[in-house]
Amino acid sequence: MKIHRLSLPLDPSGLTELKTGDKILLSGEVHTARDQAHAKFIDLLNNGEPFPFDLSKTALFYCGPAPVPPGRTSGSLGPTTSYRMDRYTIPLLERGLKVMIGKGERSPEVTAAIKEHGALYLVCVGGISALLARCVVSRETLLWPELGAEAVYKLVLQDLPCYVALL
Amino acid sequence: MGLRTVSAAEIREQVIGAIGEICCRPTPETADLLRAALNREKDELARDMLQSILLNHQIAAEEALPLCQDTGLLVVFAELGSELLITGGILPEIISAAAASAWQKFYLRDSIAPDPLRGKTLLPPEAKPGSSAARATSGLPFILHLDQVAGNRLTLHLALKGGGAENCGALQMFNPGASLGEIEDFIVRTVVEAGGKPCPPVFVGVGIGGDFESCAILAKRALLLPPHNEPDLQRMERRLLDRINLRGHGVMGCAGSTTALRVSILTRPCHIASLPVAVNIDCHAHRVTSRVI
Ligand code: SF4
Repeated sequence: MKIHRLSLPLDPSGLTELKTGDKILLSGEVHTARDQAHAKFIDLLNNGEPFPFDLSKTALFYCGPAPVPPGRTSGSLGPTTSYRMDRYTIPLLERGLKVMIGKGERSPEVTAAIKEHGALYLVCVGGISALLARCVVSRETLLWPELGAEAVYKLVLQDLPCYVALL
Repeated sequence: MGLRTVSAAEIREQVIGAIGEICCRPTPETADLLRAALNREKDELARDMLQSILLNHQIAAEEALPLCQDTGLLVVFAELGSELLITGGILPEIISAAAASAWQKFYLRDSIAPDPLRGKTLLPPEAKPGSSAARATSGLPFILHLDQVAGNRLTLHLALKGGGAENCGALQMFNPGASLGEIEDFIVRTVVEAGGKPCPPVFVGVGIGGDFESCAILAKRALLLPPHNEPDLQRMERRLLDRINLRGHGVMGCAGSTTALRVSILTRPCHIASLPVAVNIDCHAHRVTSRVI
């Protein structure tokens, strides 16, 4: 198994070395988004409003983190099941989304769209959330704090272990 | 035996303690089954993933952090002795208060939408998810299955059930003429087709018999209860486990030879026209425990 260190924003030339099943240690700035945040992203696009961050420079991490205990940078966090986000993904890929982190299979349509847009779908092991919490360098609530775990959090990661599922 | 009393406060403390135990540590059985799976595993990717799961057990326990950020829905099967008198409250309210305290105490994630249709209907604003009204119900509502039994004890079987695994369950109303082969195919297919969604390696609960809803409850109960001693069912469980692991997609649906760690079946009588079969899946985080009070 090959192990690569990748940093966001992604350098497209780095993608050519990757193969399905390779392990990635991912660093840099990502944004969490679950079902409700995705629905709001699509509303923004449909209403022609500016997108709140540059999708091409970050990753969408399908994740609703646990609360942060006192004195810590992050509570437990990890991937949620990606197929629930499939219904929102293609317009985001068209808008420049390049990297997604989640768990489980994608629909045939999204699989094809990921390949077509030269994007990268990474999977994390689910349920290893105390281990993944160690990879969080910083965490801030960026959008819609009223959504609780479904808000958008901006995370800076160091060496998040994940695997190439689709590219 | 004879009449006994127990206070609401004691039950509340036991429930808080049980939630604290299961959110941050695997059951001894889960840890053993995962270690055995790692020892058998030849695939490098699957080994790497299993090692991460075992390392997470260690870190979660050391740092008192939840095993998974989805700290789930609290499900309780309660067997209340007819000679036990609870003073100072009724069971649903006691468990509800315990869950609310445990969610705060252990920094568990509020994963419950007060209205299942969320923004899809005209809801009063205070019922919207994430609102203060919603947060006040943190950790709630929970699911309680309450049975009255003989004796003067209260037995609680508790689980924190994650959404990813719960979504992959299925129930089919079979024709009573269905063969065992058809029933087993349905169970195997349900687990295999779930792929990586329920965070395999999984635990598989199967309910056979009863009616529509009791069959589903039986499947979940099978995940929570200690193993039974029915030789025929044990043989069926082993056969199903082998078939799932032969056909399944392995750890996280990605690789390797272990898709399921255990299959548990419970049965009950059913109508001569019916043969319901339900499958309820739990992930490798498998947060279950029991208390006898
Ligand atoms: S299914 Fe996966 S993400 Fe959900 S609770 Fe279980 S381990 Fe966590």
